[in-house]
Amino acid sequence: MPKLSVRNLTKRFPVSGGPSMTALDGVDLDVEEGEFIAFVGPSGCGKTTLLRIIQGLETATSGEILIDGKPVTGPGHDRGFVFQQYGLLPWLTAAQNIGFALEAKGIPPNRQGETTERVLATVGLKGFGDRFPHQLSGGMQQRVGIARALAIEPEIMLLDEPFGALDALTREILQNEMLGLTERMGKTILFVTHSVDEAVCLADRVVVMSPRPGRIREIVPIDIPRPRASLGEALRDTPEYVAKRHQLWNQLMDLV
Amino acid sequence: MQRSAQASAVSKSAGEPEAASDPNRQRRRERLLQFGTLVLLLAVWEFAARDANKLLVAVPSDIAVATWELLLNGELFWATLDSMSTFVLGFIIASVIGIVIGFAMGTNRTVEVILDPYINALYAMPLVALIPILMLWVGIGFLAKITIIILFAVFPVIINTVTGVKNVDRHYLDIGKAFMASRFMVYRQIIAPYALPYVASGLRIALGRGIIAMIVAEFLTSISGLGGLIINYTNAFETAKAFAPVLVVALLANALTVLVQKVEERFGRWRRR
Repeated sequence: MPKLSVRNLTKRFPVSGGPSMTALDGVDLDVEEGEFIAFVGPSGCGKTTLLRIIQGLETATSGEILIDGKPVTGPGHDRGFVFQQYGLLPWLTAAQNIGFALEAKGIPPNRQGETTERVLATVGLKGFGDRFPHQLSGGMQQRVGIARALAIEPEIMLLDEPFGALDALTREILQNEMLGLTERMGKTILFVTHSVDEAVCLADRVVVMSPRPGRIREIVPIDIPRPRASLGEALRDTPEYVAKRHQLWNQLMDLV
Repeated sequence: MQRSAQASAVSKSAGEPEAASDPNRQRRRERLLQFGTLVLLLAVWEFAARDANKLLVAVPSDIAVATWELLLNGELFWATLDSMSTFVLGFIIASVIGIVIGFAMGTNRTVEVILDPYINALYAMPLVALIPILMLWVGIGFLAKITIIILFAVFPVIINTVTGVKNVDRHYLDIGKAFMASRFMVYRQIIAPYALPYVASGLRIALGRGIIAMIVAEFLTSISGLGGLIINYTNAFETAKAFAPVLVVALLANALTVLVQKVEERFGRWRRR
């Protein structure tokens, strides 16, 4: 049984004074346990909407989401979400932001310390717990966002363009860390990105979506052997990487 | 936090001593400018009014003497205590009521729809018009003063709290939703901190209006407190003594504004860079 199933999912947004806008149209997808799926597509293809529906931040117009075969009706602690921007509460420190998620899960403050320390260390932010978001760089803020999602020990991680607002160098560093992290933990991951490079580096399968209405156009398997983290920059020189990047790029150009 | 603040202070003093001392010098110059203007103003006042009728116009030196007298005999102290205890209590009650109603209106559309017209009408209307009617209901004592202060101060708190609560960034609410925060957590850790600066500016407006209400109430109801001193000494043509409580009110209003600002800064620590 797949870890996560998306069944015939459709999402329509009402548009004032006009016909409704179809953001997602009959999306079907099965994700296996431990799989890393990247979603790419031009803006308006509904990739973020799909992720938000899976998290329970929005409701589908029709269709359903199944986790371990059971239908999902709203947010849950089995899923950890990483936002693109404004993902941290600016009036809470890094540790308090993580504590927020833990408290929401029902873990009292006096039992949060150890988990908070551990996840901060996991993302390389040991000792930064007492910093407020504005005292951290954009990359560090995203690491806190990832640490917070990890803290609740979800079965599925959902990341919505987590590195989209970062500069190129920080972005690549975080991609490599993400690779190491996911290969160590083996969690099921859904990752929305607008970067083909990022998708090919990280994913087992890349889901290409087309806009208006949002549909899955193609699912491209990426057969670069794991662990890829140890390859470092050489990952981008492997023939499989070059070929898949090229293939995906051409497919996306056709859609724009 | 502390570590980084120290580090930045060190780097400032070491790297750019000019820039570090400049704002201080600037501030000193501004203070000096304000003080100089005050001295000039008082001198002109003293000089221009020296031949005027003492019953109608007091000069600064007379006011200083009168203030000193009223300080020594305790009159000013007891009047200030009387006014302030009523004011502080009224202001606190108005703040609590204002924040609670504002929160309810900001988070619940039904409550907002029901209350909105009344709040807007009462905020816009000159509340002084209600005072005679209020006196019929609550008399002219402590209760009347408190009621008038609350009435004047509560609406800006409500209106600003509603604005803050309704403006909460959707991104932050999404965080609460994604991690399944309870309604109470969302109120306490997302909506309240977000709305705080709005509430604080509401409190500052309420402070000014509350002081006005206090003086008006003391004029119109029980002639007591600082407002009472002003009325009584004016009626007795002791103009210099009437200025003393005016001075106290001006100083208190300033001090209270600074206090509200400090409280706001304390809670808005995360904003500082």
